[in-house]
Amino acid sequence: MTATRTTAPVSGTDGPARRADEAAPAPAAAPRSPLLRGSALRTTGFHLTAGLLSALWLLPIVLVLVTSTRTFDDIAAHGVGSWPHSFTFDSFRQAWVDGGQQRALINSVLVTVPTVLISLGLASMAAFALSRYDLPFRRVLLLVMLGGNLLPPQILLIPVSKLSEVLGIYDRLYALIGVQVGFGVGFYVFVLHGFMRAIPGEIQQAAVIDGAGPWQIYWRVILPLARPALAALSALSFTWIFNDLLWAITVLRTDSRMPVTASLIGLQGQYVSMWNVIAAGSVIAAAPTVAVFLRFQRHFVAGLNLGAVK
Amino acid sequence: MTAFNASRRRFLVGAGAVGTSALLSSCVTQSPAASGGNSGGPVTLQSNLSSPQAKTAMQSIVAAFDKRGGAKAQLNTVASETFRTQLPTYLTSANPPDVYTWYPGSVAESYAKKDLLLGLDDIWAGPELSGYSDALKKLCTSASSGKKVFVPTSYYWWGVFYRKSNFAKWGVKEPKTWDEFLDLCDKLKSKGVAPIGLGAGGDTPWVASTWFDYLNIRVNGATYHRELLAGKHRFDDPEVRKVFDTWDQARPFFDPNGTAIPFQDATTALLQGRTGMMLIGTFFADAAPKDALGDLDFFQFPIIDPKVPVAEEAPTDGYFASARTKRTDETKELLRYLATAEAQELYLKSSSGTTLPTHPDAKDTGTPLVIKGRKLIESAADVTQFFNRDSSDALQPTADTALVHYLAKPKEIGSILTTWQRSAQQIWSQ
Repeated sequence: MTATRTTAPVSGTDGPARRADEAAPAPAAAPRSPLLRGSALRTTGFHLTAGLLSALWLLPIVLVLVTSTRTFDDIAAHGVGSWPHSFTFDSFRQAWVDGGQQRALINSVLVTVPTVLISLGLASMAAFALSRYDLPFRRVLLLVMLGGNLLPPQILLIPVSKLSEVLGIYDRLYALIGVQVGFGVGFYVFVLHGFMRAIPGEIQQAAVIDGAGPWQIYWRVILPLARPALAALSALSFTWIFNDLLWAITVLRTDSRMPVTASLIGLQGQYVSMWNVIAAGSVIAAAPTVAVFLRFQRHFVAGLNLGAVK
Repeated sequence: MTAFNASRRRFLVGAGAVGTSALLSSCVTQSPAASGGNSGGPVTLQSNLSSPQAKTAMQSIVAAFDKRGGAKAQLNTVASETFRTQLPTYLTSANPPDVYTWYPGSVAESYAKKDLLLGLDDIWAGPELSGYSDALKKLCTSASSGKKVFVPTSYYWWGVFYRKSNFAKWGVKEPKTWDEFLDLCDKLKSKGVAPIGLGAGGDTPWVASTWFDYLNIRVNGATYHRELLAGKHRFDDPEVRKVFDTWDQARPFFDPNGTAIPFQDATTALLQGRTGMMLIGTFFADAAPKDALGDLDFFQFPIIDPKVPVAEEAPTDGYFASARTKRTDETKELLRYLATAEAQELYLKSSSGTTLPTHPDAKDTGTPLVIKGRKLIESAADVTQFFNRDSSDALQPTADTALVHYLAKPKEIGSILTTWQRSAQQIWSQ
C-alpha cells in the first residue's frame, strides 16, 4: 500500500530528468514511450528492491516459524539452517506444557497489566500537577526524573536485589511490579508533562469557573484530553514491561513465578539447546506483544512524535 | 621466585578482602528479613537442569522423595545461565534456597572458603555415602575447613567420539597412541574429510579447553595440570609450550570451521560425516537424533607419553547446600536421598542416560557406550574435572581467548601465552 502511494509522486517529479537520460540514445523515437518505460522500470526497480529488503527483514522471523515446526531429530541430523524434513506442532506443546510457558505467560500478564495501570496512573497525576500548577522546584523535579532515566539500570541490579530482600518482598511478583513502576514512572511523567502542558489553559480556567476542584479537573478534563498520549504510552510500556528479562531474574528466583521471558531462556539446556522448542517458545512469548501492537498500531505511530512537537 | 612470592602475598590480601566483604554483606543481609524466614515447609532444590528432559528427570526424583514420607522437597528450575550468574546472590541472601545443583572441587571450594556451604561430614559417615570411592571423598572435601561440603551424584566422561558406520566406510580403526592418531587423521584428510571437529564457535568457546586439558594431562600429567590451574606454575613455562608443540602436530587436521560453529552444529557435522571425530563430553549425545545414538562410539584420548600416569577427564555433578538453611535436618535428608542408588538410577532412567552414577551399587543404563565409558574412568590412575571446574569460572574466559587466538594464529603462541599468564595472574591475585 504505502509503496505504491509513494512511488507515484516520485516518478512524477523525476519524470523530466529521467526522460532526458532515456532520450539520449534514441532521440528520434516517440518521446512518450521512453518516459513510460522509464517510469515502469523505476516502479519495478523500487518494488523489487523494497520487496527484497522486506524479505530480508522477514527472513529471521520465517526461520523461527519454520524451526518451530520441525522435530528435534530433524534439526540434529540436518542442522538448524537446512531445509525442513519434518512438520509437527509438538514443540509448541513441549514449550507450553513441559517448558512451563503457560504459567509463565500468566505471570507476565499478572505483572504487566497492573504495572501499566499503576505507573500510568501515578505518572499522569504527577504530570498533571507539574504541568498545570505553579509548584516550587517543578523544573528540578522533572530534571531529576529525566536524569534517573539516563542512569543505566544495570548498576542498580545489586542494590535492588538486596533492598527487596531487606524489605522481605524478594521473590514476589509485587516486588517486580514495584521495581517496574519505579523505573518507568520518570519517563512517563516526562512525556505526559510535555503533552499536558500543550492543553490550553482556558479549558482549565473554564472548569475552575464552573467550580471544579483539582481532582475533578484532573479526572474529568485533563485525563480525557490526554487520552492519545496515554494510549500510546500504555502500548509502549506494555511491550517494554512484557519483554523485560533483567528485573525479573534480579528479583525473582522461583521458576513458578518467572515471567515468559525468563522461562524462554529456561528452555535452553545446560549444554544442548532444543532449537525447535526454543523457537516455539519465542513464538508464544512474542504473540501478546504482536497482538498489542496490531491493536494499537495507530497509537504507536502517534507515540513516536509525542515528544517531537510541543 | 620473587614474583611468585609477591603474587602469593597479593592473593592472601585479596582473599582477606573477599572474606571481609562477605562478612560485611552477611551482616547486612542478616537484618530484619532473616527472622521472617519460613522454616518448616519443603526443602527448596534450586536446579540449573533446565532442558525439558533433565527437568522431567529431576521432577521424578523430587516426586519419589516426597512419596517416601518425612521431609518434602520443592524443585525450582532456573535457566543454567541465570543460575550461574545468580548463584552467589542465592548463597549470600538471607533466606536462601536450601540445596543447589553444582560442581565439586575448586568451584565449591570458592564458596566453602567464605563459609557459605553446609558441612556434611555427618551424612558422609552414613550408610548412603560411606561406600563412595576415596577419590570422590577427596573431591568433596573442602581444603580450607577439612569438612565435606558436597554430595556427588553423577559424572560423565570425555572421549574422542565418532560414528562407527563412518569409520567402517573409511576403513579406519581406533588409534591407541598419538602417532596412530596422527596417521588416522592423515588418512581421513586424504579422503576429503576434516578429521577433527571442534565446535568452539558461537557461545561454546570453552569446548576448546578440553584439548588443552587432555594434552596437558597426557604430556605433563594431571598433577602438573591441577597445579598450573591453581596458579602454582606459569602459562608461559616451557612445559605449557610443549603442550602447544604437540597440539601443532594435530592442528592441521582440525576442521577449518572449528572456531566458527558452536558445538551443537559441530555435532551435526560429525553425524553427517563432514568431520571424522570430535573430542567431546557425553552430553553431546543429547544433540544427536535418537536413531544415530547406537552408531556412536568413542576412543580414549591417545597416549602421548607412556611414562605419564593415565588420567581422564570426568566432570562430577552433584549438590551442595547453603550454610544458612533453616531446615538443616530436612536438607540433609534430601541430600542423603539424592546419594542413594535408587535416586541415581531413577535420574538415569528419565534423563538421556549417558552419565554414570557415583553410588558404587547403582546400575548405569547398560548401553555399550556407557559400559565402555565406565571402564575408561575406572581404569584411570587419576581423574580431572574440566578446565573451569579445576580452576574457576573466572579463569575460563582467559583460556577461551588464548585457545581461540592460538587456533587462528598459531605462530603467535609465544605472545599468546604471555598474555594468558598476565590475565590469569589478575584472577589468581584477586
